[in-house]
Amino acid sequence: MITRSYMALVLQIYMPMNGKITTSIASILRGAVLLLLAVSAISLLSADAVKGQAHEEPQTSKSVETDKMIARFEGRVKEYAVLRERLEDKLPKLPKESTPEQIKAHKTAFEELVRSARPTAQQGDLFTPDIAGYIRATIRNTFKGRKLQELREEIMEAETEGVTLRVNYTYPESKELTQIPPTLLLKLPQLPKQVKYRFVGSHMLLVDRENGLIVDYMLNALP
Amino acid sequence: MKRIVTSVLMMAALLFGGFVDLNHAQTPSATGSKVGSSASSPLKLSLPVVEGSVRFAVIGDTGTGTDKQKQLADWMIRYKQAYPFEFVLMMGDNLYGGESPQDFKMKFEDVYKVLLDDNVKFYATLGNHDDANQRFYEYFNMNGEEYYVFKKGNVSFYSLNSNYMDKRQLKWMEEQFAKDTSEWKICFFHHPPYSSGGKHGSAEELRKVVEPIFLKYGVSVVFAGHEHFYERIKPQKGIYYFISGAGGKLREGDVREGSPLTEKAFDKDMSFMLIEIADDEMHFQVISRTGETVDSGVIFNRRKGAMKAAA
Repeated sequence: MITRSYMALVLQIYMPMNGKITTSIASILRGAVLLLLAVSAISLLSADAVKGQAHEEPQTSKSVETDKMIARFEGRVKEYAVLRERLEDKLPKLPKESTPEQIKAHKTAFEELVRSARPTAQQGDLFTPDIAGYIRATIRNTFKGRKLQELREEIMEAETEGVTLRVNYTYPESKELTQIPPTLLLKLPQLPKQVKYRFVGSHMLLVDRENGLIVDYMLNALP
Repeated sequence: MKRIVTSVLMMAALLFGGFVDLNHAQTPSATGSKVGSSASSPLKLSLPVVEGSVRFAVIGDTGTGTDKQKQLADWMIRYKQAYPFEFVLMMGDNLYGGESPQDFKMKFEDVYKVLLDDNVKFYATLGNHDDANQRFYEYFNMNGEEYYVFKKGNVSFYSLNSNYMDKRQLKWMEEQFAKDTSEWKICFFHHPPYSSGGKHGSAEELRKVVEPIFLKYGVSVVFAGHEHFYERIKPQKGIYYFISGAGGKLREGDVREGSPLTEKAFDKDMSFMLIEIADDEMHFQVISRTGETVDSGVIFNRRKGAMKAAA
């Protein structure tokens, strides 16, 4: 675009002059103007290219730094998983053929234990800004155009209205669990089986699959 | 002996106000044919009832506890007299709106009490309205797992968790399929890879990751729910896909007319499926809340056919 504008400008200046001014001063002047314009165009194009790079989100193609960032995130989630496993071990083991009463009692007791063990937990403990940026970029790069529109519609249609976004709050049982597209799951950092990603509106949550607690959340994960 | 059994069955059927078509007058067709449209809805079984066959029912999106869910369950109970199915596959959304003990009772146990008392086993999968803790529920037979496999005769049934198809689950699937020598591999999960539904439609992102695995390991049939209607999809790359998601809810008129995917669909009322697998044939019959048979037919295990040909 910029190249085309400069070419047009150069032609506008050059063409009327051609054949009308014949003095050597005029030639020198014309050459100087052309040189100036060419230098300006090159410098502007270079600046534009640099600016473009600076605007790019964190790369989803993994670099060593990205790998380290993901590993740190996975480590934080694993730390949570280890803690909640240790706490769950304090409870009577839930049989594989439980009654609804046993399931309810186990869930409630488990919730309380974990909540008490993480009283100061807050938003951003696990979803630090770097990993949140990476996840946003991954979603943006995985879903574009019509696919992104469809994903947005599906997530927004889900019955998740009224879910309180707050760490240590329970994800309500009456609310829908939005499906995370498998193609996205394969690109996101892998979580231990005890913790799952979940969308609520455009926000992304980490939810404990047994006790239902919101472990952490990040806002505006979905573009 | 046969006469005695026949008499008992006839008596039982009469007590339930219908009759059992013991001669199977309606022969299943290869493409599926509509049979039984009487308003009084006598039982018209379209399944061959072969000795030693694998017999089961399929229901999906059941967990409402409404009168209509119960009315459909009543037809399951009636049909069980003529077709003694051993177990039921549940396509997810087993409980809507809550997971309290009362929800389990009202939306499942009370509705299917007769079947439960008759030792019919229910094998569930998780839908987008189901808490993962359902996998511990005694009557869902999930063995504490979000995804699991069980065998009946020459058939392996894979219950998958389509809410969360991550690397771990995909790896598990590959490992299980690789060592599975069953003649039939059947998968069931909530979100349909192919669907003509107006509200949801095909779960394309799911399909991208599971279909190549199904093809690689010779999965023959897939059952799903999520859409609140019945649909039999035209075979896709040799795999038969069924949607049975109108066990407790109905999205009337949601099947897109003229959809190139549809072999047969029914979105006028709720429905369930009866299935019989005998050797390399899978017979199916779909019954509505008013007792009408809205689809039936037989499909063949291509994988086994190919194996036979090779031998």
